[in-house]
Amino acid sequence: MRQASEAAWANPSSIHRAGRAAKALVERARVAVAGSIGAQAADVIFAGGGTEACNLAVLGLAHDLPPDSEILTTEVEHPAVERALQSLQARGVRLRRLPLPGGRAPAREVFAGWLEERTRLAVIQWVNHETGSILPVEAYAQACAERGIPLVVDASQAYGKLPVDVARLGASAVVLTSSKIGGPTGASALWLERCRELAPLIHGGAQERGRRPGTPDVLALVGFGAAAAQVPARLTAMQGLAPLRDSLEQAAQAAGGHVNGAAGPRVATVTNVSFRGWRGEILVAALDLEGLCASSGAACSSGLGAPSPVLTAMYPEAPWRAESALRLSLGPTTQPHEITHASEILRRVLARAPAP
Amino acid sequence: MRVLVAMSGGVDSSVAAALLAEQGHDLVGVTFHLWDAQGEDKVGRCCAPEDRDDARRTAEHIGFPHYVIDERAAFRSHVVEPFLDSYLGGTTPAPCVACNQHVKVTRLIELADRFGCDVVATGHYARVESSEDGTARLLRGRDLHKDQSYFLYGVPQRVLERLRFPLGDLTKDRTRAEGVRLGVPNAQKPDSQELCFVPDGDVGGFVERERQVSQRGEVRDREGQLVGEHQGIYRFTVGQRRGLGLGGGPARYVLRVLPEDNTVVVGEDGDLFARQCETTSVAWCGPAPEAPFEAQVRVRYRHAPAAARVIPTARGFVAEFAEPQRAITPGQAAVVYRGDEVVGGGIIA
Repeated sequence: MRQASEAAWANPSSIHRAGRAAKALVERARVAVAGSIGAQAADVIFAGGGTEACNLAVLGLAHDLPPDSEILTTEVEHPAVERALQSLQARGVRLRRLPLPGGRAPAREVFAGWLEERTRLAVIQWVNHETGSILPVEAYAQACAERGIPLVVDASQAYGKLPVDVARLGASAVVLTSSKIGGPTGASALWLERCRELAPLIHGGAQERGRRPGTPDVLALVGFGAAAAQVPARLTAMQGLAPLRDSLEQAAQAAGGHVNGAAGPRVATVTNVSFRGWRGEILVAALDLEGLCASSGAACSSGLGAPSPVLTAMYPEAPWRAESALRLSLGPTTQPHEITHASEILRRVLARAPAP
Repeated sequence: MRVLVAMSGGVDSSVAAALLAEQGHDLVGVTFHLWDAQGEDKVGRCCAPEDRDDARRTAEHIGFPHYVIDERAAFRSHVVEPFLDSYLGGTTPAPCVACNQHVKVTRLIELADRFGCDVVATGHYARVESSEDGTARLLRGRDLHKDQSYFLYGVPQRVLERLRFPLGDLTKDRTRAEGVRLGVPNAQKPDSQELCFVPDGDVGGFVERERQVSQRGEVRDREGQLVGEHQGIYRFTVGQRRGLGLGGGPARYVLRVLPEDNTVVVGEDGDLFARQCETTSVAWCGPAPEAPFEAQVRVRYRHAPAAARVIPTARGFVAEFAEPQRAITPGQAAVVYRGDEVVGGGIIA
């Protein structure tokens, strides 16, 4: 990105030398992102952050749905998807939400049973952003394809943790974000099945073939591309993470925690644990003071002050889980000594107010 | 020693934090989100987002961690609902007393435990001192105009021991000067004077909206004669003159509010004076006294302590004043002092 900032400060839409240099960098990044998901560069649209890409996918594909349409989604989507879908209700579009009790996603047959005559679109996350629960989106894509229903897969949390290949996946649109694979924030991509129409959210020039006008953040896209090129190495490193996550999770349980989302398969990069008698935001602050950075609910929703809607949906009979959840994340550079240190901090802080 | 500093975003708590940092303490700043401000006049009063941001900027300038903690539910149940109940019951609440004791101080001590802090510091103009036997004594702030000990009378011993008031010996002017000296970002910000949760100071409108009521009633004099009409008993407090709409003649003031009859009773200035008051819901700073004693009692925040004989009762205490006091108001706190020291207090019945 530093190199790019010297060479490519210009507007990539300009035809002079500096502009062409910038454009070349953007297109190189596009090739890298496309290559990392087995796609053609021409089918990759760059956008700002992941929230924007989710909105573009949902609203862009739903723009001309007839008023009595139904959209199938889940109870545990990221706010960028859930709120975008809710905005369609003003037009009369109905939303149906699949439950994931305890984090267990429904099997293909159950999913297929939720697809109705009026279902015109399905929007499903691949990996849950709070618990790491994995949904069988390939199987869902087959069920959707059989009925001619376009499926948008929010792969924000899957990309870099599970292999993503658009041909194997069989979805109509896939959302990827840079910040989840170690790239800069503010850059994301929407892969779109060829010849599928997309209404733009933003109106302006002709960038991204009119689907996402506006001069791009060249530096962020360069960073995104560089991170995409590292995805294979990242996937390899992920394999070593499960034992570290399990060790941390056991320490959390020993300190009085209850794991969330373990009823189904999960990625190995996250543990989501609830501690009865603590409020999530207070536990996060207490751990922060000791040098352990954690989250309660999604970082995106931590300004909202409400307990995690994902955990409320996964455990409707246990609201204390949503109120007291702690999310700890691991990455390809996480070391065993960090797990040991984090476990010790958890033990020490939680001892200050043991569970009732 | 790790110190939890309560920061409202106002000058006082920001300067308190800055002084503690200058003394070399390890600080953790906390701002409570107590209420969502609505209405036109959102800036410069507690609980607007700008105030939380002022606290954050002070913490960032000085260099210590700062967190915003959501206590809206506790504030609603311990302060706002009792406030509404009180007005509808014909009394005049002291919400700052309820807030300081049941929300702020209580929750701050609990947070201090969870954050591994030994003590809690606030920007109150009050003082805590240790007496010879180790008990903590609550005293008036040196600036008697700003003294806020009135609101803290019910704080129990074990909590008082852990409270620190860096501004206790300062005047307001000195606080602002220290703020400028220490580079506190909002040192020139005006003080918030009104209730933090009532938009534009309109209590009557607030009660009507929150409880969906609208109750006209009668205004009568002491003889029971009808003299006018009122737009809701919650718009009146003992000693009030405005809003009665009684036209000319001698000035008349609210003497009593009768919720059972939905009536406001008015009289003349001389009728407002009384020699005694009785309290319930009493809290004593030390062991509860058993025998009557001489002290000074404040019957509202804006009241200089008046000499009185304090007689403990089963429910609380009776204060018999040396001189008649004007407009003693049910629902307000009566706080007992011995010189500068707070002995205890209760709610006027």
